[in-house]
Amino acid sequence: MKATSKPKPIAAIVGVGRTVFGELWYSNPEKLLFDAGLKCIESVDKGLMRRDIQACYFGSFLYQVTNKLGLIPGYMSRELGSNIPISMTEAACASGGSALYNACLGIKSGRFDTVLVGGFEKMTDRSSKIDDDLMFAADPHEFDAGYTFSGLHAAIMTRYMHDYGQQDERCRDALAMVSCKNHHHAMGNEYAQYHREYTVDDVNRSALVADPIRLLHCSSASDGAAALIVTSVEKAKELTDTPIYIVASQQATDDVSLYTRESLTSIKTTRLATEAAFSEAGLKMEDVQLAEVHDCFTIEEILFLEDSGFYDRGEGWRGVYESYESFKGSKHIPYVNGGKELVVNVGGGLKADGHPIGATGIRQVYECFKQLRGEAGKNQFSSDKSLTVALCHNIGGTGGIATVHILMRDA
Amino acid sequence: MSEPIARRKSLVDYRISATRCESCGKVYFPPKSFCDKEGRASKMSQVDYFYKKGTFFTGSIINSPTNKFEYLESYLSGIIDFPEDNLKLPGRITDYIPPSGADISEFIGRGVLPRFRRLYADGESGIVYYSSLNFSFEDDYYPFQEYMIEPSGEVAKPGIVGYGVYLPKFRIKNEGAGVLGVKERTVSFADEDTTTFAVEAGKRALIHTAVESRHVKKCFAGSESAPYAVKPLMATVSQALELGEKYEDGFFSGGIDSQFACKAATDLFIDAAALVAYPAFGGEYVMVIGADNSQAAPGDPLDYTVGAGGVAYLFGKRDVIATLDYYVPYTSDTPDFYRREGEKYPRHGGRFTGEPAYYKHVLTAMKTALTETKLTPKDIAYVVCHSPNATFPQRAALEAGFERKQIEPGLVVASIGNLYSGSSPAGLAAVLDIAKPGERILVTSYGSGSGSESYLFTVTEQITEKRKRSISVKDQIENSCRQYVDYNTYRKWKELS
Repeated sequence: MKATSKPKPIAAIVGVGRTVFGELWYSNPEKLLFDAGLKCIESVDKGLMRRDIQACYFGSFLYQVTNKLGLIPGYMSRELGSNIPISMTEAACASGGSALYNACLGIKSGRFDTVLVGGFEKMTDRSSKIDDDLMFAADPHEFDAGYTFSGLHAAIMTRYMHDYGQQDERCRDALAMVSCKNHHHAMGNEYAQYHREYTVDDVNRSALVADPIRLLHCSSASDGAAALIVTSVEKAKELTDTPIYIVASQQATDDVSLYTRESLTSIKTTRLATEAAFSEAGLKMEDVQLAEVHDCFTIEEILFLEDSGFYDRGEGWRGVYESYESFKGSKHIPYVNGGKELVVNVGGGLKADGHPIGATGIRQVYECFKQLRGEAGKNQFSSDKSLTVALCHNIGGTGGIATVHILMRDA
Repeated sequence: MSEPIARRKSLVDYRISATRCESCGKVYFPPKSFCDKEGRASKMSQVDYFYKKGTFFTGSIINSPTNKFEYLESYLSGIIDFPEDNLKLPGRITDYIPPSGADISEFIGRGVLPRFRRLYADGESGIVYYSSLNFSFEDDYYPFQEYMIEPSGEVAKPGIVGYGVYLPKFRIKNEGAGVLGVKERTVSFADEDTTTFAVEAGKRALIHTAVESRHVKKCFAGSESAPYAVKPLMATVSQALELGEKYEDGFFSGGIDSQFACKAATDLFIDAAALVAYPAFGGEYVMVIGADNSQAAPGDPLDYTVGAGGVAYLFGKRDVIATLDYYVPYTSDTPDFYRREGEKYPRHGGRFTGEPAYYKHVLTAMKTALTETKLTPKDIAYVVCHSPNATFPQRAALEAGFERKQIEPGLVVASIGNLYSGSSPAGLAAVLDIAKPGERILVTSYGSGSGSESYLFTVTEQITEKRKRSISVKDQIENSCRQYVDYNTYRKWKELS
């Protein structure tokens, strides 16, 4: 592993916590965040007290809708029993990533040196209306065209298969393999919503939700929360001997509407945020060994592989297909491109770990933190090279916002 | 949603209104007040896609819709490309039921046309939302028609200057010989209602007439199945078709919804003709629309004769295709068919609706027309009577002395059903589709409650030139893309409107 220049850390992560993801009928959203936050505080090696937290940055997409509550900082103040500044970020599925982005700004500004960052969602509290609610992350004209969120991604997938798949059945299979791989990865993740393996045929025979998207191409409606303790680089050393450093924190935005995009088969915000993150960290895509990628639908994982430069434009499906087909091991299935290897969604991704929207961007960082510290238990990433660089990619809507964070063990 | 949102949406959605940067040409939908590239220094002009043709770029067959669209069950949503403007828009494909196993990639590249359709409503008593961001395939039921403005000609006697007929794509068959001669009927699709029929018919009337919509100063909309008990259907038509000179976000035009059972529209033909001849009116044209998603209680005899659709006429003094030469009305308080406020379906007096109601009024008007004009049936090329079924108008016209060959061209009820307010207007349109200059047409409407009026029209030379811009009633009746549905589907869709 060779970085082009020594990355300069922006902030550090010293503790993480999360709940299981799934249908958590008996828990309210504040309780979920409380559980994740408590685990997070208690995970700090050298101890951290609640009073040491100077500010909170939370992310949630639908809390006001699913639970009919406003003034969320007030509710969180009650949970925390504190009067510190609390900011809420709503950026659809990138609410978590955006909360972390804001937290990094808070740390970098020098105003705070220890903050709690959390993401949560309680989607099953509104199960019969959740398909309508998810369309808040889209243009109302897309809603009025009859689209669902899966339908919009199906429109992307249709065009991708048309432009690049060209009737090749392997393209269709590659889109199923992303799901199979992520379900395979989730088998070792004790917090994941699903612990079940699927074959390519299973995916290709599952119910057509929004043609060509099938049920097993989709992430699920989930409940859950995840939290991080983010500190200044200096403060981190007081709290742990093994902090994980954030060496890049970037966000990019674009028109909320899919139909206005320059391209429907590439996510501009992913490209912009990824490029900016690599520039900020002085790294390249080939330096990244592990990526937590926003696979709300399997097509998004393939688009990331292309937009990040791991595969060439239009070649992502081929890379996925060949990587999956040639894999002979039993643990994590890497994507291979020449001599480069990249393990994506080591804990199952949104597809199998679950996608409680606001929690996802934080859960991705949780996963990378555990992997980089070698604390992922039986799901621990293993490679000939030691793991030092991981990337988290979080998208909102159909690409109206993206955040990219790069994490390093030794910076 | 809410009333203010509905108002703002209508300004954008009814005509697919966008803005174009006059410096770089970039088009913005939803409309923006400045250009991203050129900044606020650039002037933005209004542009709309109401009459444009696009292509299907990508999309999805939605099998698990949002709650608002559950009524459509499974449908095709698309992203529509207007490549000449580098513009893409989201739109649902309407009049289309995706077959099981459809290959989504086969839709890519097909031409599509905007259609004014219902999106959803705020419950049973709330606002109904409409949009033209619904598209039908160009190679399906309705072909693309360009809206071209032609130079106006000479001023002459008032009359009809153009018309448009909208018949839904879907049909239901009556078994055997049909019911009272009605063999098949038009059926509203799940997203259609009387308002959408009226807008589509008016759109076709403007295309046929080839005049600027800003010269249409009044719109009368006759119907007995308008979606609102109080809120004018004609206002939706005027907004969508931009009738009258535009001022701010409204138009200098007026009008009214009318109700007189099946003669709600034809009753106003004379008013339209009179208005365009009246100096103080100050406008060139008046639009008269008859549209209904004809109501009938399940299992009622009407349930086997009703159709759905709309017909629009433009009256004026320039380039008249048929002069209005004579008018006689006849009215009495005869309760043969009625619907009380709040009732869902109309009631009728069974056999009472024939002799003392329909025949008495229709024949009185027709016979008076012949007497007062000193014409005999032989002097008249075609006769059209209101057609609740195919039996009543034939018997009335025969009794007035007409022959079958004069009756049959306007007897479209056998193939489209009773359009209520659109019934005799559709019969007249079918006759205008084939009439030659100089021929006379006698039209007698009938509205329960009860009344009739007879009009005598004489066809002019202008009819031939304008015919190339119309889609004839016969072509719509025989359209190979028409699609049959079963009784349950017909009922389900009718109940939705």
